[in-house]
Amino acid sequence: MSAALGLERIGAESMPRAASLLSTEDLTVRFGGLTALNRVNFAVEHGEVRAIIGPNGAGKSTFFNCLTGVLRPSSGHIRFDGEDITGASPDRISRKGIARSYQITNILPNATTLENTRIAAQSRRHGWSLLTHHRAYRDIIEKAEEALEAVGLRGKAGELAANLSHGEQRNLEIGIALATEPQLLCLDEPTAGMSAAETHDTMELVRRIAKNLTILIVEHDMQVVMELAQRITVLHYGEILAEGTPSEIQQNPRVLEVYLKT
Amino acid sequence: MSRRRTTVYWTGFCVILALLIMAPLVLPEFWRRFLTEILIWGLLAMSSDILIGYTGMVSFGHSAFFGLGIYGAAAALLSVSPPSLLLALLSGLVAAAAAAAFVAYFSTRLRDIYFAITTLIFSQIFYVIIFTWTEVTGGENGLTFSRPPLAIPGLFSLRFAPNTLHWFVLAVVVLSYLLLRRITQSPFGMVLQSIRENEARTRAVGYPVERYKMVAVMLSGLFAGLAGVLYALQNQFAAPDFVFFLVSGEVVIFNVIGGIGTLVGPIVGAAFFLLLREGLSRFFTEYYLIFVGLIFIAMVIFLPQGLLGFARRWLNH
Repeated sequence: MSAALGLERIGAESMPRAASLLSTEDLTVRFGGLTALNRVNFAVEHGEVRAIIGPNGAGKSTFFNCLTGVLRPSSGHIRFDGEDITGASPDRISRKGIARSYQITNILPNATTLENTRIAAQSRRHGWSLLTHHRAYRDIIEKAEEALEAVGLRGKAGELAANLSHGEQRNLEIGIALATEPQLLCLDEPTAGMSAAETHDTMELVRRIAKNLTILIVEHDMQVVMELAQRITVLHYGEILAEGTPSEIQQNPRVLEVYLKT
Repeated sequence: MSRRRTTVYWTGFCVILALLIMAPLVLPEFWRRFLTEILIWGLLAMSSDILIGYTGMVSFGHSAFFGLGIYGAAAALLSVSPPSLLLALLSGLVAAAAAAAFVAYFSTRLRDIYFAITTLIFSQIFYVIIFTWTEVTGGENGLTFSRPPLAIPGLFSLRFAPNTLHWFVLAVVVLSYLLLRRITQSPFGMVLQSIRENEARTRAVGYPVERYKMVAVMLSGLFAGLAGVLYALQNQFAAPDFVFFLVSGEVVIFNVIGGIGTLVGPIVGAAFFLLLREGLSRFFTEYYLIFVGLIFIAMVIFLPQGLLGFARRWLNH
């Protein structure tokens, strides 16, 4: 009995299951004296929609920055699709199949909406072609148009990204991420600053794309989280406080104490 | 670009090209030389536009690439007899590309003002080396050499008459323009513009930004070197002054006056600047630079998009 328990412990914590698309092992980030993430062990399975919640300063953005290579963790490991990607550069991680949308809109404002997704689609190949006009690569333009279609911006393809509404720019964020054909999509507060109607549309959008993708979503809007996510991870002061289905999280006394009630 | 704009563009291109081809037949000797020189400085400015206008990196090191193009050509013309145009071209381009690769390796890790300063420092290092290494470079006095014939070995050989030199320079500049234009429209060029617009985002969608920047600097340096070779052919001397950072500063000014991110703009800027300097220096002798400065300040304030940007907006209205 105890031996079986011990094995299970090892299986669950030190050795990430082979099936997990993404897993972290004792992931730690320190900024000087501040520990932003403390030995986080975390795993996302293929096809899952996972939400990460937590009060401000819980380490959600730091966690995303580690996954996407913007920050190098102080210690610990990140595995993605069977490969150790700890400390890899953002461009390599993107090519491995992790895409990200940003909390603060991060697009090419002076390019057209289509060019925003086209440049993302182009990164998978053809980036070094020097003497062919970029419009000659029809396949890339088609991919870029598909990405716009998926986020409902096909009709605005020729518009300058800067001229889109806030909500449309937020969706373009997701479109850019989709155009890189990721396996894992990390959404950082996709509905930030949106009206109720726009939030509803974006939730529908995430639900649609979740059919073919694994999604990791940081969100403040509890209603969005509870409706979208299959499982929720609660971060608090850089540590995992709880993990479970939305109903489990809603009933977890510790979570209620630090987060939901405040 | 819409169909109509494409037609307008190519019509304008052909008209200007025809004028530039015919110009040496009607212009007096002084102005023919002047026009050839504008084309050469224009090519240098255009090469730097790849960085300033398309990638968003301001280089203050183009004098080094230009100068190494001149000295590279000089080395080939002085050491091989009879002097060969092809060898001069090759040697100038290799020298400039090597310098560009060296500068690119170190400078592209830095951004904005730090990139600009690094390129400036490297170009000054090249200047000091060329200025002090008298046995090889002639030091302060520079080098003089003779012009090679316009030749393709085994096919033909032609002495450079003043007109043929102008046409040769024109052909090289126009081909470079078409090539650079195509590069800026290529997938690679679109990545450079994406880096200019949003570097972090470009990296996040999967581009190794530093490598793209390195290639951009090398390409830019290569065409600057080509301008250097043309300058060596035109003037038949090399001097350390061309490696000095003032030349780099003028190149940036050509870009700003003409309109960055347009390729043609920098040529227009070079023409405007050189004509202005020529005109003003006749009236105001050594004080002409004060007026050049005043006009430049006024243009930056009132025509921030440069002459070409202004002309475009005016045409669209």
